[in-house]
Amino acid sequence: MALPLPPGLTHSEVAFLAEMEMVTVVPRQRLDSIELLSGKTPPLRPPRREQLPLWLALLLKKQRRANIVPPPWLHPTSLQDIIHKETKEDPAAFSPPPPPASSYRADVGRPGMVRRNDNGLDMASPPFRNSCTADALPGYLPYHWLEVAEALLAHAGDDMGAPAGEVRSLLRDLVEVRAAKMRSSTSALEGFGGGLMSLRGVGAMELAETRGFVLGVVDGVRRIGAAAEANRREEEEEGGFRNDREEEESDDDMGI
Amino acid sequence: MDIDDILREVDPAHHAVAREKQDLQDLTRAWIAERSAPELLHWPSGGLFERINANIKRQIEKVEEMTGDMDPRTNFALIVIQTELERYKYLVRSYLRARIAKIDRHTLHYLSTDELRSRLSEMELAYATRHQALLHNHYLSSFLSSFPPALQNLNDTAGNISMIDPPDLESAVFIRLLRDTLVEGRGVDADGAMDGKESDIVILRWSDAKPLVEEGSAELV
Repeated sequence: MALPLPPGLTHSEVAFLAEMEMVTVVPRQRLDSIELLSGKTPPLRPPRREQLPLWLALLLKKQRRANIVPPPWLHPTSLQDIIHKETKEDPAAFSPPPPPASSYRADVGRPGMVRRNDNGLDMASPPFRNSCTADALPGYLPYHWLEVAEALLAHAGDDMGAPAGEVRSLLRDLVEVRAAKMRSSTSALEGFGGGLMSLRGVGAMELAETRGFVLGVVDGVRRIGAAAEANRREEEEEGGFRNDREEEESDDDMGI
Repeated sequence: MDIDDILREVDPAHHAVAREKQDLQDLTRAWIAERSAPELLHWPSGGLFERINANIKRQIEKVEEMTGDMDPRTNFALIVIQTELERYKYLVRSYLRARIAKIDRHTLHYLSTDELRSRLSEMELAYATRHQALLHNHYLSSFLSSFPPALQNLNDTAGNISMIDPPDLESAVFIRLLRDTLVEGRGVDADGAMDGKESDIVILRWSDAKPLVEEGSAELV
């Protein structure tokens, strides 16, 4: 009954999450609004574009009831732009995630999706961010980029607007460039003494892939260095009077 | 407050949609957090699960009603409803199972103080107490009773070693920042701090991440 999995989402769980991303569809048939647990679906009236969660869009696509509009970042020019960013502009870091303002702007038509707290902050996070709809910004990879791109290529390759082969090969380049970065970031873990490491722009699947290794290294380093860390903390706490005591201690040592 | 908030307030339909979407997001976030955190987190307040369970029940009833209908159009709607229902149920089930796994592993720890007990839902508390009582009785009848009385406790702290095994709160986690905030982390060689930006993904110890997650500045990923 209890879940036998270790902490951290697995690949299939990440893929499940990615299916909650909203995408834009162009319906080919009328379909009345359906009352779902996550709210009513918009009534589909061809050819008006609507936004639906990916799992539902794929279901409609398989039954040829709708076409999926690929998100702008999946367009070959946008992908080339991202690859350029990843390799030339900043070869060390991942390309930046989509700015929050854009996802909010894309959301104005459907106020239900975004929660803003009292400070006016946008608290929605992927997959509830509309970063895979037709209104998303090109040139930025959203958190679930790999899963969404794979799903769209596998099931809606003919809707891509560009040859699916081209998109696929660009995606493969991107996967490789970023996998190399992920690997080099693990070498930064060797000296994981600072207590923090930022991986801004990383994707969900990439994280799921390296999670076990990265967390294992960080926890291992912590265990090995536990004694040293405790010493350091003690020293810091004692602060000022530490110098005198050290001298005393060394005197004692000599006496022995 | 901007124009959207005003519009939302005057439009009851929008509010209803927002609530359902919000529940889904809250459930998803709770699930991800529970799957990633090394310790048991607080049972969600605000009646989230009561609402979700009631909705699921209602949806199942609707499916039962619609199954008799053979009209092809409602048939497709039925497929969609059932697919969504299964997805929702999977989330709820996985969430509860992840919690039970943690409760099973550290039962005595979560029962040891009131603060920790308050994290469990009523059902979970009943489960943990009963399960622990059964286990203790079983141990007693099979071997503990032949030990000297002083050694029969399962929660002894003699010799500075506690028999209650707590989860490792220092294990590393990944978090995503939901707003710009200062992130501090303790490390082996030095303590680090950085000005975190919204959407940053950071690796740090759970004990350092916990305050950020609890105040809503970050979520586990």
